[in-house]
Parts: sequence; C-alpha cells; structure tokens
Amino acid sequence: MTTLEAPTTSRSQAPSRLIASRAKRKTARKGRRQSNPFLIHLTLLCVCVLFIAPFVWMVSTSLKTVDQVMRDPPVLIPKPMMPENYWKVITHPKMDFPLFTRNTLIIATLCVIGTVLSSSIVAYGFAKIRFRGRGVLFALMLSTMMIPGAVLMVPQFALFRWLGDHTPIQFLGTFKPLWIGAFFGSAFNIFLLRQFFMTIPDELSEAARIDGCSELGIFARIMLPLARPALAVVALFTFMAVWNDFLGPLVYLQRPDQYTLALGLQTFQSQHGGTEWQLLMAASVLVLAPIVILFFLAQRTFIQGIATTGMKG
Amino acid sequence: MASSKRERREFVKGMAFVSPWFIGFLVFTLTPMGLSLYWSFCDYPLTQPPLFRGLENYRVILHETDFWISLKNTIYYACMALPAGMCVSLGLALLLNTKIRGLGIYRTIIFLPSLVPIVASALLWMWIFNAKYGLFNEVLAKLGINGPNWIADVNTAMPSLALMSLWGVGHTVIIYLAGLQDVPTELYEAAEIDGAESFRRMWHVTIPMISPVIFFNLIMAIIGTFQVFAVPYMMTQGGPFHATYFYTMYLYENAFQNCYFGFASALAWIQLLIVVVLTAFAFWTSTRWVHYQGK
Amino acid sequence: MKKIIRTIILACLIIPAIALLAFGPRAKHEVPPGFVELQYWEKWSGPEGIQMAEIVDDFNKTVGKEKHIVVDYMSMTEVNRKVLIATAAGVPPDIAGCWDGQTSQFGALDALEPLDDLAREYGIKKEDYKPVVWDLCVYNGKLYSLPSTPASVALLYNKRIFWRNADKLRAAGLDPCRAPQTIDELDRYSDVLTFRDAAGHITQSGFLPMESWYVNYLCYWWGAGVWDRNTGKFLLTDPRNVAAYEWVKSYATRLGKDSVAEFRQGFGGFNSAQNPFLTEKYAMSQQGPWMANYIYNLKPEMSEVLVPKQLEYFLPHVAREFNYAWAAAAFPSAAGEKDAAFCSIDTLAIPRGAKHPRESFEFIAYIQRPEVMEKLCSLHCKTSALKKTSDAFIRNHMNPYIDVWERLLASPNAHGSPPLPTMAQLNADLKVFIEGVYLLKVDPKKGLEDLQKREEEQYARYNDRQKARLAEAK
Repeated sequence: MTTLEAPTTSRSQAPSRLIASRAKRKTARKGRRQSNPFLIHLTLLCVCVLFIAPFVWMVSTSLKTVDQVMRDPPVLIPKPMMPENYWKVITHPKMDFPLFTRNTLIIATLCVIGTVLSSSIVAYGFAKIRFRGRGVLFALMLSTMMIPGAVLMVPQFALFRWLGDHTPIQFLGTFKPLWIGAFFGSAFNIFLLRQFFMTIPDELSEAARIDGCSELGIFARIMLPLARPALAVVALFTFMAVWNDFLGPLVYLQRPDQYTLALGLQTFQSQHGGTEWQLLMAASVLVLAPIVILFFLAQRTFIQGIATTGMKG
Repeated sequence: MASSKRERREFVKGMAFVSPWFIGFLVFTLTPMGLSLYWSFCDYPLTQPPLFRGLENYRVILHETDFWISLKNTIYYACMALPAGMCVSLGLALLLNTKIRGLGIYRTIIFLPSLVPIVASALLWMWIFNAKYGLFNEVLAKLGINGPNWIADVNTAMPSLALMSLWGVGHTVIIYLAGLQDVPTELYEAAEIDGAESFRRMWHVTIPMISPVIFFNLIMAIIGTFQVFAVPYMMTQGGPFHATYFYTMYLYENAFQNCYFGFASALAWIQLLIVVVLTAFAFWTSTRWVHYQGK
Repeated sequence: MKKIIRTIILACLIIPAIALLAFGPRAKHEVPPGFVELQYWEKWSGPEGIQMAEIVDDFNKTVGKEKHIVVDYMSMTEVNRKVLIATAAGVPPDIAGCWDGQTSQFGALDALEPLDDLAREYGIKKEDYKPVVWDLCVYNGKLYSLPSTPASVALLYNKRIFWRNADKLRAAGLDPCRAPQTIDELDRYSDVLTFRDAAGHITQSGFLPMESWYVNYLCYWWGAGVWDRNTGKFLLTDPRNVAAYEWVKSYATRLGKDSVAEFRQGFGGFNSAQNPFLTEKYAMSQQGPWMANYIYNLKPEMSEVLVPKQLEYFLPHVAREFNYAWAAAAFPSAAGEKDAAFCSIDTLAIPRGAKHPRESFEFIAYIQRPEVMEKLCSLHCKTSALKKTSDAFIRNHMNPYIDVWERLLASPNAHGSPPLPTMAQLNADLKVFIEGVYLLKVDPKKGLEDLQKREEEQYARYNDRQKARLAEAK
C-alpha cells in the first residue's frame, strides 16, 4: 500500500510525476518540512474557539438562575453561580437521571456486544473466505447503507408487532427492538472491519490451517486478537451512537420509566416552548461529559484504528 | 469434481460466517423494504388494513406543491451544506494532521459537537440564532452590525441551518484524518526534494492520495444530507413559511401526523431513488478523480 | 504515568457504570394481585400533570379500590403521535388524553373505540354538557371521547399597562379602565400601547395577532368558519375570512414584518416567567382560563396587588378583581356577535384494541362526575364542561374572571374546530399560510383561494379512499 502506481484511469496522471514536472518550472522554497506551526496553531485556535463557544455557553447557562438565562445582554460568568442546578437535574421529578442512565447503559452494552461480535464474524467471512457470490453480497451490504431510515422505520415497527403476536416473545414495549438489530451486524462496521482483516496477510491463517485449526478457531485465536484496535473503534462508535440515539427510543419507548438519557432531555422542553434552559443545559453537560472523556482518552487509538483499516474501496 | 466440492465447502463456510448479517438483512431490511414498496401502492392509514390503489400515491405526490417545495429546499440545503462541509472538514483534517502540540485537545474539541445529544444541540442553536439574545447577534452588535433574524427569516433560515451543519463535521474529519495517516511519508519527501510548496504539495500529493476517502465521505454526505431531520424539525418545524421544510419533514408529517402511511412509503421510495441516482452519478464521475492505490 | 492516569479515569467511568447496571434503580411496577392495571397517557406535564395525577390517585383510592382497577398516569410529549403509533402497533394505552382535534382525526382512522353504549349505560348524556363541548366529542354521529377539561378563549389585558398609559389612551379617545370592545378599538389600543426604542426596535406591543395561539381560528371572531359540517364545503374563501387575515397582515405592515419577527424572538416560553404577557412586553393576549394559574405561579405580584392570595377570599366578592393587575374580557367580534369565542377541549378516549375498555370507561366516567370535574377544572384553573356548575365552583375559583370564560363557553356564538377528518392537514397548511401572511409573502385573498383548493382536494381524496374501502368491504 505504500507504492503509488497504476492510476485507475488513463486520464489521470500519477501525482508524483505531476509534481516533478511542475517543480521544474517553479523555483520553490526549500528546507521546510512542515508549514509554520505558529500559523497552524493560530488557525486551529480560531476554529476551536468557534467550535467550543456553544459549549462555553452551555456550561455557563447550566450555572445560571432562571432570571440570568434571559438577561439582555447575556452574561458569560453568572453571578451568583448555581452549581445546585446539577443536583436539581439529578433529582428532577420529570427526569429520573439514574434510571435513564441505567436504561441507556443496558441498551448500549447489549448493542456494543452484539455489534462487535456479529460484525467481526461477518467481516471475517467477507474478507478471508473466498466463496461464490461474495462480491454480490458485499455490494448488497454496502448499498443497504443508502436506504433512508424512513423506509424501514414503520415496517420494522410492524414487524416487531408481528413477531410479538406470532412468537412467545414480546418485542414492543421492551428494549428489544433497540438492540436486537445489533446482533445482526451493521453495514458500516462490517465494512470497517473487513477493510482491516484484508490487511492481515493470508500466510498467518494458512499456517494455522495446516496445523489443523478450524476456521472458527483461526478467527477467534488469530484474527480477533490482532483486530483489537479496530474492534475498539467499532465498540466506541457503537457506544456513542446508542448513547445519543434519539429517533429509535422515540419510536419504540413509550413508558417514561423506559426512557434513555437522550430522550429524557426532551422532558425539559415543554410543549409550549417554555424550556428550563439552565436545567436542560446542566443535564446536557452531564450526558455529554462521559463520552467526551471517553473520546479524549481514546482519540488516538480511534484514529489509528480507522487508519489501519484503510477506509479505501 | 474435487474443486467443485471444495467450492461448495467454501461456500457453506463463507455463508456461515456471513449469515448473521444475511439473516438480519432478510428480516430487518429486505422484508420491511418489500412491505414498504407494497404499501407505497396502497392506501394504508396504519390503523386500517392496506388497500391496493395502484399508482395513485405516486400520481398525487407529483401534483403536490409541498413535495416540490420540500425537494427544492432539500436540494438548496445540500448545495450549501455539502460543499461547505466537505471543504471545512478536509481543511480541518489537514490542519490536524500536522505534528504540533495539543493535537489531542484540538481533535477532541472538533469532534465534541458530534457527541452532543441532538435535543441539546437543537436547543443550543435555537439560542445562538436568536435575533435578540443570540450569540451571533450579540457578537455582531459589539461590532456595530445589526444582525439578521437568522432562522426566523425566510431568506436566512436555510443558510443558517447549513452554517450550523458545519459544526457537526467531526465525524467526517476523523475519517479524513484516518485517511491522511495512510499517506506515505516518502511521497512528501519526494515532493520536498522536488521543492514543492506546501499548498502544491497538498494539491498534488495529498488530495489525490486521499481521493478515495474524499469519495467515501462524499457518498456518506449525500446520503446524510437527504436524511437531515431531527435537528431542523426541532428548531423550525419547517418554518418560517416553509423556508426550512425538508423532504424528510414532509415524509414524517404524512406518516405520523396524517397517517397516510402508503403515501409516506411512496415518498420514502422516491427519496431512495433520488439518493441512488445521485450516488450512481458520483460513482460515474469518480473514475475521473478518484485514485486508488495500486492493488 | 500517562497510562496510569488513563486507566484511572477509565476505571472511574466504567466502575460506576457497572455498579449502576447491577444495583441501579429499576422501573417500579407493582400491581396488587387481582387488580386490572390501566395505562393512562396524558399530554400534561408540570403542575397540570401533577394535578391530574392527584385526581388519578383519588380514583385509585375510591372507585378503583372498590372495582379493582389501578390507573397508571404517564405524562408524555407528543402524546397524540405516540398514541397513534402504539394503536397502529397493537399496543395502545388503555386511556388516551388528547385534544379534540384527535376525536375526528382518530375517529376517521378508526383508531378509537366508540363510547355510545358505555355512556348510555353510565347515564352520561348530551344534555348535561355545554353544547360546544359535546359536539367536539362526536365524529360522524358516534361518541369517541369525553372531556377532561374544556376551555374557551378570551382577551386578557394588563390593567397596569393600561393605567400607566391612561393619559395617552384618553387622548386617543379610549377608556383605560376597560378592554377594547371592537376590533377597531383593539387596533387603536394596540397602537397607543406599542413602543419602540431609539434604534426603532419594538420594546413593547399592545397586541400581536401572530403571537396568538388561536390565529388559525380567527374566523370565529369574524363570524365565518372553515368548514361546513352539513354541506361538507370549505368556507375559507369567505370574504370575512379574507378580512380576518387582512387584519393580521395590517399588523405586519404597520409594525414592520422584520421588527415584529425580531421582537418575538425575545419572548420566553409560555410557561416561563419570561412569557411576554408577564414581562409586560405585551399588553393584551388571546388566551384560555389557565393563564390565571400561570400568572399566579410565575409572577405572583400580578395577582396580589392588595392582599396575599390567601386573604383574597375575605375581600367582598366585587373587590376581588382589584387584587389583580390583569383582567379578562370577551375577545371582540368583528361581526358584532356577542361573546364570540373559540373553544377547545382536552379529551379522554379509548384507543382501538385497548384491552380493558370497560374498566377504562369506569375511569373516564369518574372524571365526568360533577364534583370530580369541578375539582380537576378548578385545579387547572379552567371552566367546567358540564352545563350546571355549583356556586362554590365559581365563587372559590382560583381564576377571578372565570365567569368570563364560563360565559364564553356557554355562549351560542362559541365554536370548536369542525369535525373534519383532514383537520390535521388543514391546521398545518393554515399555519404555513398565516406565516406567509405576516411575513408579507402571501396575499390573504389569493392565499385563501389556494388553500381552499388544496383542502378540497385533500378532502375529496379522503372521501375517495373511504369509498374504495367501502367497496372493498362489500
């Protein structure tokens, strides 16, 4: 993957050749590996200010009193500070914070387990076993990513009802519709993992096969341990997606005692637009904090995890 | 004979590994899609059994002004948000791909918005866009500029939403970053020896090298843009005067407000068709600008 | 070192998560043996939700205990959509607390159980209710719901703002001690009470039609309607409707559409202390009787001008209104009708497929008892749906002007939204049309003509589908 040759079409030229030809015409500056780090810092700082300003506001609002929230002009550092807003949120009668967190965690854990397990098995099949129809199935899988959620939402809903009526297992009114799908893999994650497995040389599995290892054994003993960083990425992606999922719980969860955190936040917005801003923002900070920390800790692994999988077609 | 036996064994093995996805695909994707395709030819108000009506739904849709308005709005939004998002995310990724201190913090900050629960981000932005107390108009007022009404004005509402979409480019940036990690350093060195300036280096080395990633993100963005729903729905409900009435809102309202589920299914299929056509178009152009590394 | 810190932080996240999973709170769910549990989904959250939950508690302690029924109150946002999805999915709640709009919409979709037989059995009859209320419970000749609380719409005005500007009002030939009695007067009051700052931004307005919740139903104050239930014809192009929306437009042209848009952005939510009526940004408002509760809870000083609320009942009855900085009157009618009003109700219905319709009706019937309804309605600060009200209900009502709303609800010129199966669509379209009017994007006459055509098509399509369904059934 490190050589650059054979461009796909005749029209395109290999970039290196292009550069060479251009470089001849131009006398260029020399001796600088990297652009000016000061400039990069400056640009990034400006961008980050723009990106982070809403959060500063979020945190600042979460510490305000009701009156301060609507003050014109707004104040950035509230006086007096109201850290008790956070306590109010945790003990709020409308939003049962511990219960909602537990609900979210249940769904997220099941989804993470399901996705990691099934996606890696399927990805291995697509990457390492040459069977007839593999190409077609793989293309089919990629194309499912294109289907608008709306096409599937209600028929899936009807399907869960049908399953509830015709099997002894009840689906609607439980968490099942939200996590059962994870055990059947998700296209994006399968794609990601398949790309990763492709980079693992076949010699490894061949050797094991000669030693009499079964295909499942190769997968479990050789491939999975190697794929740990990629699996971590899949797990994190899944966890974050479930943590913030709004539409799924909105459709499937009816009883308020089943709500997830993302859905529970909506209880702070009332039907007639009267929002308890300070509480909503405090709750949002609480919901956001764990995954921000998680991401900060994992961001390097995260990017390398995706990088090694090579997001290339 | 032996080879065909082996082939069969490989097939069984392959299918066994792929079966979790395949079963899921049959049950949770293909069956619902089949159902919804059938319903799109029916009158199906959710609470009553579907009644076959032929092409009625499609005929009506093409005559509905709201359909055309929502389609136009969605395309208008896509024309702003898509290129802007692509450029901003690529630019950020290039900046973040350098070796400077504090990268982890920068990366986290830029990814942060993608982690915000959508209810919170919708409400946060409603506030930022507020003409009276909003962050933007406060800052503009300090500069002596009388800010616009942002999402409350017919002309600025959609550009405002497109602007807001830039805030959520974190996911795309991460994927670009991953792509950039794969650009071999030898290439840079070669360019260095040739004495290419950094901008040229980027244009002639980096961009072609990560063109498959750009392509991947483009496809994802096309699909994503046509599915934009929850945040604008919470912020504007399609207003003012249908200025931010997205295709998905039209679909959602027909499905859950009017319960014309057959009608909504037809809309969903039209949406699928549009996305497929656009993606196919992107694939077609991709042969001209996407460079795959030799394999 | 870095690694250790990472591990510690990770542990700090994961250990509580596992602890929460293992020992965290669970959804409480206990039904005494032998009892039927009913799920009751309701729109109300906040104080109104707590008050309704109190009534539910009363039921569980009395009738419920006797008949072995437990009602489980659940408040949720977008309750109508959730009820519909759940009904379609075959897992409906037992009792659905929606609005009158859903009676016709869900009725037309065959998503509700007709209640006629049960009502007859329990002796619940039309004669006991205010006519407009009962009408809103019926669709296509069938009773599909019963009221929980009703409401009529009146004009609220801030007496303090009126007094403060008494000289200006008098100079304009207006009486600062009463509400406007015609639309023309309303405009003149509004003009006097609208103020701008040096930069031209509106700082206070008299009245804004676009801010009203009931701008969709202006026709009822102009003597017109939207749909004739007898002929099935739409009345949107009626010149009186055109006049009504020309009136809305006149505010946008007079005040400047952008100024108004910017001014309205500064409003807080209805149920917050930043409600523009409470912050005195807004001198007059078109609202329901519940406003009295909101004003008292969010800005008590507007309800305690002379004495604290607790002492108010010791004042002579006629003096009660002096304790308030606000007052209510009938919203003026452009057609000169006396006590014209728009009315709407909160309804209780049983979705199709609910498992315990009889037990559910037991609860609905309990709410219809005069003493229960009066308790609920006084808690919510609303009028009663029943024709007869007890003296104590009016006398001890939290809302000092309840007689105004009571009179409006009982008035022959009171109207509810028509039992139109495509009402949800009409309301959505009206909203867009009105936005177009006050943003000066749509000419009222032309817009209403287009709207009429569109609604006729929608309705024709609905009828067409129903016909096809009937033919299929045969």
